[in-house]
Amino acid sequence: MTNADDAVRLACGADVDELLEQVAEGRGSQRDAHQGQCVHCQAAITELSTRWEPVAAATRHAPQPPAELSSLVMQSIGRLVKDVWYTLQLTEHGTISVAARVVAKLARDAARRVPGVRVALGRSTESRLAAIVERATLRHRHPHAAVGVLGRTAVVELALAVEYGPAVHEVALAVRNEVSAELRRNLELDSVVVNVTVDDVSTE
Amino acid sequence: MVADSDDAYLVSRAQEGYLDAFELLVERYAPLAYRVALRMVGDHHDAQDLAQESLVAVWRGIAGFRGESTFSSWLYRIVTRRALNRLTRGRSSDAIDLLADLPDASTGPDDAAVRKETIDAVSAAVAALPLAQRVAVVLHHFEGLSYAEVAVITRSSVPAIRSHLFRARRTLTTALEQWR
Repeated sequence: MTNADDAVRLACGADVDELLEQVAEGRGSQRDAHQGQCVHCQAAITELSTRWEPVAAATRHAPQPPAELSSLVMQSIGRLVKDVWYTLQLTEHGTISVAARVVAKLARDAARRVPGVRVALGRSTESRLAAIVERATLRHRHPHAAVGVLGRTAVVELALAVEYGPAVHEVALAVRNEVSAELRRNLELDSVVVNVTVDDVSTE
Repeated sequence: MVADSDDAYLVSRAQEGYLDAFELLVERYAPLAYRVALRMVGDHHDAQDLAQESLVAVWRGIAGFRGESTFSSWLYRIVTRRALNRLTRGRSSDAIDLLADLPDASTGPDDAAVRKETIDAVSAAVAALPLAQRVAVVLHHFEGLSYAEVAVITRSSVPAIRSHLFRARRTLTTALEQWR
């Protein structure tokens, strides 16, 4: 592999770069027939193993990312996503609104508590629907309300991957009941529509 | 919570607008993005910025991801390209071969805690490698990718990767001789 004019060779003709590759790939002890007999190769492999050890040790150390990295990424992405807002309180003193993606997250977490659910993913109303709602509510909106107010009805879509074993429809029904109850309790929404799609089943 | 085989599932759901699915991918792959960025640029704060930018770029581009490579390969490519862009101060690294001869750019020491002195010495030695060799070493020796995978990620060839690694190993073993 090494260029002929670039290669460093042992007295036996072995290419040092290839021996170093053998060592760096963790195959230093897997010697071929020649290496089993050759003192030059044996000495070189031992020497190169010692020299490579600090690198091998460093590769076994995996630096951990800052704990906040994932949340910083999701915050950045949250700013890119057009959101729908639910208004929980609308009075002359102001409004309390909650982003639909927060509703989706609460729904997801509730779904994950149901036995038989392996993965639960929540999706709030799609952005194109958000635009339609925004236009539809424009004339009726309270002056203090956020853009895209849907009122106190939440529509949540959940995609589920369930475990193999429990009856799928029973798991789905339990998810719908749990999520609906959680959102009514946590956000005091008047109406909760939970659409459940089971799109994967696994024994893992 | 989810197995590796679920990447494709999560990617397809993320493409359908399930932000949750992408969040799971971020939680799974943020360590990879940070690790590669840190080993490439050598500075914790730069690495954090780079990892964050890369993952946001993945979100922006996920609708167009057709699954021709694995999600992790795609992320490796994005982090590596952005690291090279940063190290070359914006000079294009979008060439067919990302590992074309690029100028050297030394960086500071790693601040890892385990066997700190040795790890710092290795990090410094890796950081002192020419960029093409550094990318090959980080992706192959530190990330455990095969020559073929590194070649795909860097849009290079297996012989070129092997050649970069031969040179890098020579340099590293010479530089680290004092740590025997």
